[in-house]
Amino acid sequence: MIGWRRLALPAAAALIVGVAVAATRVAPFTSGSTAAPASEAERRVWSQADELNHIMERGNVAYADAPLAAYVQGVMDRLFPEFRGVIRVTLLKSPQLNAFAVADGHIYVNIGLLARFQNEAQLATVLAHEGTHFTHRHGYLGQQSLKDSAALATFGGMLGVPVLPQLIAATSMFGFSRELETEADQVGFQRLLQAAYDVREAPRVFEHLLREVQSEEIQEPYFFATHPKLKDRIDNMTRLSSRAVGGGDGNDRAAYARTVQQARLDNLENMLSMGRAKQALLMLEDAQHAAELPPHAPYYLGEAYRLRGQPGDLYRAEAAYRRAIEAAADFAPSHRALGMVLLKTNRHGEAATSFERYLALAPEAKDRKYVESYLRAAKQQGESR
Amino acid sequence: MLACLVASGCAPTPARVETPRIEALDKSYAVELPTGWIRQYTAEKNLIASRDGFLLQTIALVRRPLKEAFPRTKKVATTGMLPSELAELEIAELKLRGELTAALTVLENEPAALSGKEGFRVKVAYNNARGLEFNEVVYGVADESSMYRVTYRAPKLYYFDRYYPDFERAVQSFTLTKGKS
Repeated sequence: MIGWRRLALPAAAALIVGVAVAATRVAPFTSGSTAAPASEAERRVWSQADELNHIMERGNVAYADAPLAAYVQGVMDRLFPEFRGVIRVTLLKSPQLNAFAVADGHIYVNIGLLARFQNEAQLATVLAHEGTHFTHRHGYLGQQSLKDSAALATFGGMLGVPVLPQLIAATSMFGFSRELETEADQVGFQRLLQAAYDVREAPRVFEHLLREVQSEEIQEPYFFATHPKLKDRIDNMTRLSSRAVGGGDGNDRAAYARTVQQARLDNLENMLSMGRAKQALLMLEDAQHAAELPPHAPYYLGEAYRLRGQPGDLYRAEAAYRRAIEAAADFAPSHRALGMVLLKTNRHGEAATSFERYLALAPEAKDRKYVESYLRAAKQQGESR
Repeated sequence: MLACLVASGCAPTPARVETPRIEALDKSYAVELPTGWIRQYTAEKNLIASRDGFLLQTIALVRRPLKEAFPRTKKVATTGMLPSELAELEIAELKLRGELTAALTVLENEPAALSGKEGFRVKVAYNNARGLEFNEVVYGVADESSMYRVTYRAPKLYYFDRYYPDFERAVQSFTLTKGKS
């Protein structure tokens, strides 16, 4: 697992430290044809993985974008050509910066991760890491290290978001041991080299993670207590990449931005709908990232300010909505959002104009009834002044 | 809430609804629930009711102080919020309930009155781990001190539509009172 999960209790770190025990090593799979459980215990882990895959399928959590899924699968196949058809990538709707591997070769990648990376080489770094968890049978080894721990039973209650028990069982999603994570970093790095990716991008993956942790104001160590710390991982990756011969590709930022553009927008909407304003601002206040988004993107910046709700944010939001309207006058949500700011700050005439513009641009809008009620209120209050 | 029910000893004994009108333990509201259903106060003093079992259909009435209105997002409700802003926070709260509700679909989101106050009505759909689709409707409103929700949740298959009219009658009967303790 490359990402992190917010733990509700600081005590989680201590518990996780306590569960790491030496696992019995098993030989890595050498190709897709050798990838099969070798013991009853490993078969059970694969069976749990299969159950998780069914839950994911039935839970309707996959991000439906066939061309994007094919693109990501293509990157995986380039990294692990001998496992083509065995390592299968599924994109998930979640905005969290996360990806995880299950024991049977399914790799789940959140669109939150895709959205925040800058190029294909960074994506490849994550896929190489997660693919290694599968080829080196870390799902099974991770279970071996956790199975006797009473702490496992308590994990579910320690997450900010409840997690299905099957997910814990099948993925060791609280992370593998420090040893296994380090192995996934190192072997994954070799995969990047073999596939001729620009390995200088690898450390930046962990820099994204670090910024995410800081934006959420999470104090280290928590989940990473059993792992190489993020800063150490950045240092390790930087050291590895500095020793590597230059060259490699996958660093075309513009091409990547075009490929993931819709996912980035969907991710922003999803993130904001979950109230994750600070995470959205991380991306939207990055001028280079913002420049890669469509002209109406300042609307999302405005929404993030409004939802963050710090002093002055309402006015920052208004300025952003106005920029969005200037750049893309026909993007309806900017008019509704501006109207709401104007209504709340008692500029009723302007608010009414904005709401009317919204309703004209989006006559079938799902929130039409709200906006019609706000329009009536703006007009009534405007007349009564 | 359901987990609390499952855990023994954390909630008062359930009782059958004999006379429809029921008051909140703190007297902050009154509501008419369908007769014959089973009702129960939770450890948090919220009122829940079901006909066939809480996994098959649940009506829940929840009051929370404005500052604790949205515990998962840790957002605060204020009296100055527009109904759509409250609805927006409610959807975020639902999405943060679990991994599967995180992928929920908002089917309807509209202004609605609860006890004569302007609020919202949100209807969402999501699948559980076995692929069964659930629908959930939340009415919400805020007054000077509290946020109130009246919620109905049931599997879409067979149960949701069948008992939705009972829920709507409960919503229409919901009355905020002045007797908060």
